[in-house]
Amino acid sequence: MNRLNTQYFFIIIALYLPGLSYAETSWLDKTQIHGFASQAFIATTDNNFFGDSEHGSFEFTELGINASTQLSSKLRFSAQALSRRAGGFDDGSPRIDFALLDINLINYEQGQIGVYLGRIKNPIGLYNETRDVAHTRQGIFAAQSIYFDKVRDLILSADGIQLYGDYSLPNGTLFLRGGLGYSIPDDNVEQAYLGANFAGKLESNKLALLGQILYEHDGGRWIFSATGVTLEIDYESQPADALFGISDGTLKVDYTVLSTQYNGEKWQLTGEVAFENINPQGISEFHQALNSNTLGYSLEANYRLTSKLQGFIRQERFYIDKDDKNGSQYNATYLQPASSRYSKSWVIGGRWDINPNWMARVEYHSFKGLAILSPVENTTPTAKENWDMFALSLSYRF
Amino acid sequence: MNKPVKYYFAIFFLILSANVSSQILITHPDNSISQLSKKTMRSIFAMRTPHWPNGLPIQVFVLDDQAPIHISFCKHLLGMFPYQLRRVWDRQVFSGTGIAPITVKTEQEMINRVATTQGAIGYIMPENMTSSIKSIGEL
Repeated sequence: MNRLNTQYFFIIIALYLPGLSYAETSWLDKTQIHGFASQAFIATTDNNFFGDSEHGSFEFTELGINASTQLSSKLRFSAQALSRRAGGFDDGSPRIDFALLDINLINYEQGQIGVYLGRIKNPIGLYNETRDVAHTRQGIFAAQSIYFDKVRDLILSADGIQLYGDYSLPNGTLFLRGGLGYSIPDDNVEQAYLGANFAGKLESNKLALLGQILYEHDGGRWIFSATGVTLEIDYESQPADALFGISDGTLKVDYTVLSTQYNGEKWQLTGEVAFENINPQGISEFHQALNSNTLGYSLEANYRLTSKLQGFIRQERFYIDKDDKNGSQYNATYLQPASSRYSKSWVIGGRWDINPNWMARVEYHSFKGLAILSPVENTTPTAKENWDMFALSLSYRF
Repeated sequence: MNKPVKYYFAIFFLILSANVSSQILITHPDNSISQLSKKTMRSIFAMRTPHWPNGLPIQVFVLDDQAPIHISFCKHLLGMFPYQLRRVWDRQVFSGTGIAPITVKTEQEMINRVATTQGAIGYIMPENMTSSIKSIGEL
């Protein structure tokens, strides 16, 4: 290469470089990638929760990665892949947790209005949307009285559309969400609501409806929220089901969660209550009679000792039939343990934010009752009514 | 008033003003906005206001959650605590409903990024104000 050519070469490169670096920064600024990984250890005195916990279980592993990219000023795409190994509930096979298009329709001085299209997480209570991300949960496990792991997939997300709107008020902001979509039932749902995994399948053929109204007062010092979900899933029987007297039917579920939270500099106080009506129609006479109204609540006080250390205490109650809290009628009718119909627990725990990425937790739970346990992991008649659980977790996020 | 007393008063006021001097909001010099209400600041830093009134995307820069300047900025300018903002960002990022701001490591990096990014907003200590950036007052 002679001298002149070399000069041209460098001039061309020099002219091109700012363009390249600009293109790169703008692409980077428009795309964000985040992820998380968490591993827990669980030990119970009796009964199994997230694996063979009576002998110590490591079967609670969560891995996720997501990307969000701004396609245009009004259009954003975002998706997350999730793998969750959770004892008998989940084997860790990867799935699309959410994949949505966010269309920002209107921006005005008081807020914004937009729509999400695709697979969307359901904003139920204060924690459902990010219940699988350890850093965002209240503890090693989501509060089981509100966010039942034994039927999580039914209310976790939906394939459809969600409308969102923020409206700014003099001392706070109102957030509204309304959704229409198909829920995603799995075998755990069938086990929990039908009592066994029968030959037929639960199919989500009808649109589920979701609505949430959330108010944040004074920048979130106080948060109040009410969520309602109503859904219907069909049970499509197989010839083998006839042996058990099982035929086609539907399962109607109405789920309401009310939440309140105070966020102070040191103290965070949270109260959530969930009402669920499970109404099986058809399927079998036995199942039809299982129509029940559940009641669950959780009260928690969390204290920040330093910016890195927190401790909390939580009380939880969960009744499968709020008109038969102690399970005596159920016991008399079905000769099954009354203790399988309620769960009363206390939890104390600590959280250590080692650095912005790493976090460790330790918890001790004391339970009376078996209602949060799943038949997937336990044989109800031999399960122990009073049991304790110790859990540790180490979590990473970026 | 005799001289020593005046002197003590001067020191007293200096200490007082040092205590109340809090972070200032900064933006790209081309931004026509010069004042923001606390409500709008909260919305911007919660990543809920995607655009400036002229349609330009807002690019938010913050320091680490544990950085003293960030903690003080949250408390004094937003009237919030860092963990509250973190929860808002996390909920958005891990449910796909929104994004998180860009975290910078130092105040100098904050100044550089805000000075060179159209639509940028961030915060610094007032003594580090330079001509490459523009300050935004509280409405």
